[in-house]
Amino acid sequence: MNPIYLILIFLVSSFVGYLIIKNVPSLLHTPLMTGMNALAGVCLLGAVITVGYSYQAGGTGLVIGQIFGGLAVVLATVNVVAGFGVTHRMLKMFNPKKKNTKQ
Amino acid sequence: MMTETIYYIVCVVLSLLSLWGISMMSKVSSSVRGNLLLSFCLLAGTIVTLLYYGIVEVGTIYAFILVGSLIGAVLAYKVQMIQMPQTVAMLNGLGGLAGAIVGALTLIHIGVKETDYPVFVNVTATLAVVVGMVTFVGSMVAAGKLHRLLSQKPIIWKNHQLITIVLIIGSIASVVFAFLIGKDWGLLSDIYFILTCSFVFGSLFGLAFAIRVGGADMPITISLLTSLAGIAAAIAGMAIGDILVVSIGGIVGSSGLLLTQIMCRAMNRSLAVILAGKTSAEAAPIAPTTPSASSAPSAPEIPSAPEAAPEASLAHILRAAKRAIIVPGYGMALAQAQHQVRQLADKLESQGTDVRYAIHPVAGRMPGHMNVLLAEADVAYDQLYEIDSINDDFKETDLVVVIGANDVLNPAARDAEGTPIHGMPILNVDQARHIVICNFDRKPGYAGVPNPLYEMEKVTLLLGDAKETLAEVMREMNNSTAAPAETSSDPSFVTVAPDNTTDTSAILREAKRAIIVPGYGMALAQAQHQVRQLADSLERQGTEVRYAIHPVAGRMPGHMNVLLAEADVAYDQLYEIDSINDDFKETDLVVVIGANDVLNPAARDAEGTPIHGMPILNVDQARHIVICNFDRNPGYAGVPNPLYDMEKVTLMLGDAKESLAELLRMLN
Repeated sequence: MNPIYLILIFLVSSFVGYLIIKNVPSLLHTPLMTGMNALAGVCLLGAVITVGYSYQAGGTGLVIGQIFGGLAVVLATVNVVAGFGVTHRMLKMFNPKKKNTKQ
Repeated sequence: MMTETIYYIVCVVLSLLSLWGISMMSKVSSSVRGNLLLSFCLLAGTIVTLLYYGIVEVGTIYAFILVGSLIGAVLAYKVQMIQMPQTVAMLNGLGGLAGAIVGALTLIHIGVKETDYPVFVNVTATLAVVVGMVTFVGSMVAAGKLHRLLSQKPIIWKNHQLITIVLIIGSIASVVFAFLIGKDWGLLSDIYFILTCSFVFGSLFGLAFAIRVGGADMPITISLLTSLAGIAAAIAGMAIGDILVVSIGGIVGSSGLLLTQIMCRAMNRSLAVILAGKTSAEAAPIAPTTPSASSAPSAPEIPSAPEAAPEASLAHILRAAKRAIIVPGYGMALAQAQHQVRQLADKLESQGTDVRYAIHPVAGRMPGHMNVLLAEADVAYDQLYEIDSINDDFKETDLVVVIGANDVLNPAARDAEGTPIHGMPILNVDQARHIVICNFDRKPGYAGVPNPLYEMEKVTLLLGDAKETLAEVMREMNNSTAAPAETSSDPSFVTVAPDNTTDTSAILREAKRAIIVPGYGMALAQAQHQVRQLADSLERQGTEVRYAIHPVAGRMPGHMNVLLAEADVAYDQLYEIDSINDDFKETDLVVVIGANDVLNPAARDAEGTPIHGMPILNVDQARHIVICNFDRNPGYAGVPNPLYDMEKVTLMLGDAKESLAELLRMLN
C-alpha cells in the first residue's frame, strides 16, 4: 500500500469524523466515548494479521508472533467487546418515558 | 480468496458505515442501533481481514479472539456504573498496548510481508510503539487514579517540566532513528535499540503526563487518551498497510480530539496548558482574589454530619466543659498543629477546665511521637497520660478534642470482627459527653475501617487542616465569651439549625419550578437514586423539575447523564447549559448536589483565577438555592465559592445521600 494513500485516508477519515462528532449532545458524551473507545480496538485487525502471517511463515518468528501477536489480539478483543458491551448497557439506561405513571 | 478491488470497496463501505454508526449515536433513539452498527463494522472488518490476507485457516487466531471476547463480555457485564470512568480508561489502555505490540512486531519483521516502503513502515511502526505505550501507561495511571489506587491529587515531580521535555525529545529521537534502519549507523540504526528506546520513552512519557493530572481534569484526560488510542491504531495500521485500521483509527483519533476540545472549553482550560502540566491545582494559590474570599478566608470545616450539633452549641460545650481530654494523632504531626493544641489547652485552662492529654502508644509514626511534639510545644509532661491510666476517665469527661487521630479511637476495634483493628486497644473516646474531632477528612484511617464515631450525635466534626480548625475552635470560644449571639456574629456558618429547617421545608413545598444541579459529589456519594426520589416527591406536589448538566460535571464527558439514566431519570429532563441557563432567574428552587466550580459565580469576574471566563450555570440567579455539598472547601480550581455566603442559600454539608434524605424528610 502506497504511504501517500494511507496518509490521505487518515486525513480524510479524521476530517469526516471531526464533522460528525460535532452533533453529539453532551447527554451522550459518555456512551460516545466508550463507543469510540471500543472502535479504537480496531488494531485488532492488525494483531490478527501478525498472528496469521507469523503462523504461516513459521520459523523463528512463530513463537514470538504467536505469543505477542496473540496477546495483542486478546487485549484488543477485550477492548472491543467490553467497550461495545458497556456502551450498550449504558445506552439501554437512557430512558425517554415521561414520569406521569405514578401521579 | 478476495480480489483487491472488492477488498477496497468493502473497506470503504465499512468506514462509511462506522461513520454512520457514530452519527447515529448523536440521538438517544438511534444510539443503541448506532452502537450495534459499530460493533458489526468491527466484526465484518475482522472477517474481511481474515479472508483478504488469506489467514482464515490459522486456528490460533480464533482461540485468542475467543479468550478476549470472554474476558471482555464478563467485564462488560460485571462493571458497575460508578466504575465507568476507570473502566473506560483501562480498556483504552489495552487498545493502546495492542497497537504498540503490533508496531513492535512489525518493526522486528515478525508477521509482516515484505514491503516496498521499508522506511515508511519502520518509522510508522516506531511511532505506533511510542504512541501506543503513551496511551497504555497514561490510561493505566488515569485508571489507577480514578480507582483511587493512586492519589487523586496531581503528583508533581521535581523538575517535572524538564523530565517531560527530555522524554518527548527521547520519543522523537527514537522515531528519527527509525529513518536510519538499514543504514550503517551502528547502534543508532539498530532495530532493537530503537525498539527499546521507543518503548521506554513512550512509557515514561505516558507516566509523566498522566501522573500530574488531578482528579477534576480527568474528563479532559480520558477523552484525550481515547483520541490517542485511535491515533495509535491508525499509525499501527499505516505500519502494516491496512486501510481499514487507518481510517477507523483516524475517525476515533479526530473525534476524541474534538471531545477533548469540548471538555477543555467547558473547563476553561487550553489543551496546551493541560499537556504542559499546569493543572488547576497548581494555580490554586492565587485563588483568594475573589471579593468574598477576603471577607471569609478559606473557612475551615463545620460539622459535616447532618445530625451534628449546630455551631452555637459548640461554643457552649467548649465554655461549659469542666474536664477535657485532648487526643492527638498523626494528623497533628502532619499539620504541625501542636502549638495550636497547646494554645487551645491554655485557653481551656484559663476558664478553669481540667485539661489532660491521652496518648495512644501507636499514635504517630514512631514510638512516643506525640510526646515529642507536645513537648516541643512546651506541654508539661505530667499532663500526658498513657492509655491505661486515662481510659476509664473518658466517661466522666465533658469534652474530648481529637486532633488527627482515627484508628486509635475507632470503637469498631471492640466489636468489628475480621477487621484489621479488631481487638486493638483503643482510647474510649466514645464514652465522653461531647467530642470534637479535628480530622483532615472523614476517610477511614490507615487500617481502612470506617469510624462509627463520625456518625454519632455528640460528635462535632471539623474537617480540614488541623491548624485552621483549631484556630476556628478558639475563635468560637472567644466569640462566645464576647457576644452570646455567636452564630449571627459569624455569617460564614450556615448549618441546618432547627429554625432554618422550617424555612427550607417551606421553600421546598412552595417551589413551582425547580432545577437540580448534580456534580461529582453525587457520583461519589452514589446519590443519584436519592436525587431521583427528591425529584419525584417534588413532582408529586406539582413542581416542575428539570436537571441542569454542566458539560464537565463529573469525571468523564457525560458522567452525570449516565448516572441519572441509571436512576431512571428521563433524559428529556436533562438540559445542557445553553438551553437552561436563562431559566435560572425564574426558578424558585435550585438543588445542588456535589457541584462547585461549575456554578461558582466567581468565574464571571474573578480575573486571574483559573476559572475566570469558564461557562457556569447561573445558579446564583435563582430565588432559593439548597446546596448539598460535602464540605465548604473550594472546588478543584481552588477558588472559594461566594454562593456559600449568600443569604438565599441553604448549605447542607456532609454525605449527599444523608443530606438528600434530610430534604426528603422536610418535604414529606
